[in-house]
Amino acid sequence: MVDTPHTSGTGNVIDVEAERKSKEAYFTAGQYALIWARFKKNRSAMAAGVILIILILMGITAPFLSPYDPNIAGRDADYQNGAPQIPKFWDENGFSFRPFLYTLERKRSAATNFRWVTEVNKDQRRYVQYFVKGWKFYILNIDLDLPGDTFDFRLKALPIDTHLFGMDKGNIHLFGTESAGKDIFSRTMFAIWTSLAVGTIGVFIGFVLALMIGGVSGYAGGWVDSILQMITDAVRTVPAIPLFMALAAMVPDEWSAQTRFFFISIILGLIGWPTLARRIRTHLLTERSQEYVLAAQLCGASAGHIIRRHLLPSFSSYIIVDLVISFPYMVLSETALSFIGLGLKDPVNSLGVLLQNVTKVDVLLNYQWYFIPAGFFMALVLAFVFVGDGLRDAADPYSGH
Amino acid sequence: MSRPLISVQNLTVRFRTDEGLVTAVDGASFELRDGEILGLVGESGSGKSVTAKSLMQLNAGNTSYGPESRIILRDDETGGEIDVLSLKKARDMKVIRGGSISMIFQEPMASFAPAITIGDQMVEQLLLHTSMTKRQASEFSIEMLQRVGISDASQRFAQYAFELSGGMRQRAMIAMALSTRPKLLIADEPTTALDVTIQAQVIDLMKDLVAEFGMAILFITHDLGVIAQTADRVAVMYLGEIVETGPVRQVIRAPAHPYTKGLLHALPRLDDLDATLTPVAGDIPSPLERPSGCVFHTRCPEIIAGRCEANLPEIASLGAGHDVACFAVSSPEETTA
Amino acid sequence: MTGKPLITVRDLSVHFSIGGALLGQKNIVRAVNKVSLDITAGTFFGLVGESGSGKTTLGRALLKAVPISEGHVEYSDNGVHYDLNAMSARDLKEYRKRCQLIFQDPYAALSPRMTVRDIIAEPLEVMKLTNSREETDERVRAIATKCRLNLEHLRRYPHAFSGGQRQRISIARALVCNPRFLVADECVAALDVSIQADILNLLKSFQEEMGLTFLFISHDLSVVAHTCDRVAVMYLGQLVEVAETEKLFFSTRHPYTKALLSAIPLLDPDAKHKTIKLEGEIPSPTNPPSGCKFHTRCAFARDKCRAKEPALVVKGENHFVACHFADELMDENGQAGSA
Repeated sequence: MVDTPHTSGTGNVIDVEAERKSKEAYFTAGQYALIWARFKKNRSAMAAGVILIILILMGITAPFLSPYDPNIAGRDADYQNGAPQIPKFWDENGFSFRPFLYTLERKRSAATNFRWVTEVNKDQRRYVQYFVKGWKFYILNIDLDLPGDTFDFRLKALPIDTHLFGMDKGNIHLFGTESAGKDIFSRTMFAIWTSLAVGTIGVFIGFVLALMIGGVSGYAGGWVDSILQMITDAVRTVPAIPLFMALAAMVPDEWSAQTRFFFISIILGLIGWPTLARRIRTHLLTERSQEYVLAAQLCGASAGHIIRRHLLPSFSSYIIVDLVISFPYMVLSETALSFIGLGLKDPVNSLGVLLQNVTKVDVLLNYQWYFIPAGFFMALVLAFVFVGDGLRDAADPYSGH
Repeated sequence: MSRPLISVQNLTVRFRTDEGLVTAVDGASFELRDGEILGLVGESGSGKSVTAKSLMQLNAGNTSYGPESRIILRDDETGGEIDVLSLKKARDMKVIRGGSISMIFQEPMASFAPAITIGDQMVEQLLLHTSMTKRQASEFSIEMLQRVGISDASQRFAQYAFELSGGMRQRAMIAMALSTRPKLLIADEPTTALDVTIQAQVIDLMKDLVAEFGMAILFITHDLGVIAQTADRVAVMYLGEIVETGPVRQVIRAPAHPYTKGLLHALPRLDDLDATLTPVAGDIPSPLERPSGCVFHTRCPEIIAGRCEANLPEIASLGAGHDVACFAVSSPEETTA
Repeated sequence: MTGKPLITVRDLSVHFSIGGALLGQKNIVRAVNKVSLDITAGTFFGLVGESGSGKTTLGRALLKAVPISEGHVEYSDNGVHYDLNAMSARDLKEYRKRCQLIFQDPYAALSPRMTVRDIIAEPLEVMKLTNSREETDERVRAIATKCRLNLEHLRRYPHAFSGGQRQRISIARALVCNPRFLVADECVAALDVSIQADILNLLKSFQEEMGLTFLFISHDLSVVAHTCDRVAVMYLGQLVEVAETEKLFFSTRHPYTKALLSAIPLLDPDAKHKTIKLEGEIPSPTNPPSGCKFHTRCAFARDKCRAKEPALVVKGENHFVACHFADELMDENGQAGSA
């Protein structure tokens, strides 16, 4: 008979110790550690997560990244509808560590029939500078402009004027400019920020409402549950687009862009809560009938204790998943609204507004760089969706039992 | 018949899971002859269900079988053999699944589709495996339902699974499994979920059917009492290995393996109410931490230090088909005092 | 006789209405129907029945985990007296400290998101039985050691443990507040045989050491025979027989109990015992038979059984049977009587 020892590893002493440690880690892993371990194994979700973090950071540091003010104040009157300017490192005049661009000169002469013609001067280089001082951006910039004059409030504080890159002479437009001369790169960075902000507020409002209504519904059960569910279903059946149109049409024109921005976010949250409420209710109803909840009740645990210690941890991971998954819908809704003109409007920077400008045939034929923000938008939404899916797959580490 | 109906040789089944490669069955070997009831006994984690499912290749997609594992099914039509594990196409498996081998499960609600009537499912099975017409299949199915003791069989034929009680569902499942006249019936914990009075009815039914149809049964359970009353032979499994095989009377009256002895001493017996229940020491190791050498050595009261942890035990034969895998039995002179 | 029983139950009924939330018919299920019994302190009282017998509901009613529809339940121990029908909120809190439940499913009874230490400590924290975290930890360690749990494993989560270990954690949780009365609801049914014996021995040792009283609910008569001092058999919500264990098993008076016993597969392959085959299925609790609920499956059923419900009367020393023809049947089976 062959004497083969059975070991689960390779029999190596160091491996056995490492295995023991990892098993112990598995045994003492709390809920979130287990979810993270499962999430890490999902490559597409991890990649999407990295992209998502990059995009979010870009949105948050938009003022720092943008070389020019995305609003009308920072426009480049000399370079309207200009093509993207990608800096070079090398040309026939030699190599340079510092990226550069060529100078554009406008000339008029007999040779050009006395028309203004823009020429590229390859010998005149303009170099990219880092950490340049440029336009001022105020971090704290509140401009509440409600109807009437009593609640108006304006505050500008905490300026930043250093930006990641700029030019020693002239301007650099990485993504080109649009019809008024505003830098599309700067607008895109700010647009990501705006869309994230609107999405966050919308998701937050929707979540708070859903938690209250779904929570009470699921915990109380019985006739309270029936009535609240009827209300939820009624709200759910309201068609979103006509409701948006009606609400957006109600917005007075004199409201400032900021006020309008908050209002749109609130509307999105109010439309989004029924789905999340239903999910919360279902989670609660399932958890409430678990035996360990009965065990706690048999000790005389108060409702607060049960909610805190048993119910909330049991569905917090699902709620996080639901929030992440509903985020892109908020971004999509805001973009769609703004695109058809019902949401945010020019001169606010949002992805929807930027896309509004691409509907002209002129743009489609001649100024294709207007579409670059669309790529960012797709990346943002897809990243959220992949991360949300990955989280959802990883979210229930105890389903095996 | 000199050749056994089915012969399992060196069956090793491993699963790829998130936590690593789990060995569910390791080197299990046993045979089944026509008309014989073999009981496969084991606790949780023993691998008995996985073994049963391997006979029809019903294990999940992340399964890998050992390179020397064979499951040889005698093929009466050609006079040859079929190696079940080597069949790859679903078409070939069809002959085995439901044809010569049928299976009934612990939870009958899980094996009946909830939205199709019982009758439709039985007829579908017959149409797949036989050349009956739909009408013939329906009549035959109603007969089978009557045969398993379901009164109002024609009524029940048109009902859904949830309309039947647990015992009746189990009977219907037996009827469905037997309607294709399989040569081997695998019963995976068929009575565990039933009340004890219903369990007695179902066991009697199975014994009658075996006598009538002459098929073999692989009866999987954790209940040694049921095996004692039903089976001809028994194989005891622990953590994926078969530790003892033999005729039921011998194994129960004179168990040789320390695990079997431990199991029998842990059982409360109605004929001896004052006996103390002695549990088997220790806990079943997790399948991720299979012990080296003899898998039972971590809990064995008769362990031979130095031998049992390191080496796989030899199989000792105690006569009349009673085999034990244990050093204490095969080489007792090495036992340290 | 040790004086007043710990738990006194008189004509307890628990009804559920099913179906019809706002409109529609309400069907009443009598899960427990006029049950009376006494549980003596320091004993193991077995409650046996098949599905639909109401044994789980009865156990939970004694803990006030389900509302009592009719009847009385009283708890009396060392001068402390509670009437479950007339309890203030504070009384209920005190009662909960003395009575606990051990669940059947070790996988569902432990919150997967709490460490074992927190699970066992929860009753202490909720009932405010300790003053500091150190005291809680000490009591948790003490009971965990008693239940033979490895103290190093207290920081692990339930998914690290096997079924038997989880059941021991469940038992530790039930015992940590020093209760007097424990309802063990099928607590070994989901366990392997070798672990089952371990848990039963553990419970027995607690009974002897700490003088605990157990209501042991099970469908497995062999287990009940080994552990319990007194056994009650239930069928469709009613008691059919109550007696000391030996009397129940060897001087059985009720046909249902006899059938239950004969249905248990014996370990001896050659054992020949008279099997009473029960025909038919267990009736549904929503639609119970008239008269004696068992008459539809009883081999000895007569007209009186269909018409009139038998009362639970005493036959022999502390041996109660609910059957019109108990005396005749006992003679028929040739069992030696007890008095």
